[in-house]
Amino acid sequence: MSPDFWGTTEGWIAVIGLTIGTFLIRYSFIGLFAGKKLPPRFERGVQLAVPAIFAAIVIPLVVMASGRIDFATRWPYVAAALMTAVIAWWRGGTFVPVSLGMATLYGLQYLVR
Amino acid sequence: MSAASPSGARPDAKRDAFRAGFFECLMLVPSYIPFALVCGVAAVQAGMGQLGAVALAAFAFAGSSQAVLTQFIASGAPLAIAILSGLVVNLRIMVYSAAIAPRLANSTRKERMLWAAFLVDQTFLSNEARHQRGAFTAHPLAFFLGCAAAIWPPWVITNAVGAFVGAQLPASWQLEFTIPLSFIALMIPFLQSRAHVSSALAGGAAGVLLFALPLKLGLIAACLIGACVGLLVDTLISARAARQKASER
Repeated sequence: MSPDFWGTTEGWIAVIGLTIGTFLIRYSFIGLFAGKKLPPRFERGVQLAVPAIFAAIVIPLVVMASGRIDFATRWPYVAAALMTAVIAWWRGGTFVPVSLGMATLYGLQYLVR
Repeated sequence: MSAASPSGARPDAKRDAFRAGFFECLMLVPSYIPFALVCGVAAVQAGMGQLGAVALAAFAFAGSSQAVLTQFIASGAPLAIAILSGLVVNLRIMVYSAAIAPRLANSTRKERMLWAAFLVDQTFLSNEARHQRGAFTAHPLAFFLGCAAAIWPPWVITNAVGAFVGAQLPASWQLEFTIPLSFIALMIPFLQSRAHVSSALAGGAAGVLLFALPLKLGLIAACLIGACVGLLVDTLISARAARQKASER
C-alpha cells in the first residue's frame, strides 16, 4: 500500500487531536450541566444565541461574493432565499421550501443568461 | 386502546421518532456533498492518507474544522496551531451543547455521550425545530439518532469518495447553496418572539460585517451579540409591560 493510503504520523496526530478536542467541545455543557439548573438568564441567552449563529452563517452565504456584499451578482440567490423563507413560513417543512428556492435560483439564472 | 395511553407510550413510538428524524435529515444530505468531496481531497493532500481522511470525517465529523485543519497543515503551519485552529471553528457547538444540556435530566451517561457525538449544525437545528413544535417529546434521543443515521454515513462515504477518487460535482449545480436554504427553512419556526427576531437580525449583520475575521470568529462574535441583543429586547418588553400595568392602576 502506498503512503497515500496510510498517511503520515503528523497527519494521524492531527486526526486524533481534532477528534478528541471536538468531542470535548460537544460534551462540555452536556457532561457538566445535564439536567442541572443554570441561571435562567443564561439559559435564555443560549436559546437566543441560536438564531444569531445561524443567521451569521446564512446571510453571508446569500448576499456576499468574494468577501463583500454584492447584490449585482447575488440577487438571484437573495430571491431564492426569500422564496424558501416564505414557503417555510407558510407551510413549514424543509424539502419543499428548499426545492422551490433552488428552482427559483435556476430559473432566474436561466432567464438572465 | 393506544389512543388513551399518555405521551406516546405506544411500543413503536420510539421507532416512529427515529424514522421521523431520519427522513427529516435525509433531505439535508445533498447540500453538503460538494463540500464533503473537497474535504476528502484536502485531507489526503495534507498527508493524512486516504485512511486518515476517512477517519477524520468519521470521528471528528465536523466539516468546517476539517477544512481549516487540512488547510493549515498543507500550508506548513505547526501541528498544534493547525489543531487549535480547527477547534476554534467548532466553538459554536459549545452553544448547542449548552442549549441541549438542561433537557437531559433523566438521561444516562451513555445517552449523553450519544447526544454529544453527533452534535453538528444539521442534527442540532433539526432537533431544536422538533423541540419547538413539541413533537416526539417522549423520545427526543431517538429522533436525534435518526437524524444522525441519515447525516453521518453519507458524510463519511462522500469524504471517502473525495479521498480515493478525487471526484467533484459540476459547479453549475450549486448544490452547496442548499446549505443556507435548508438552514433558513429550519430557522423560520424559531423566530417566534421579538427577542428571537432581533437576535437573528443582529447575528446576520454581525456575520456580514465580521466576515473577514479568521477561523469563523465572526460566528462567535455574532452569537454573543445576538444573545445580548435578545436579552436586551426581553428586558425592554418586560419593562414596558410593567409600565403599562402600573399606568392601568
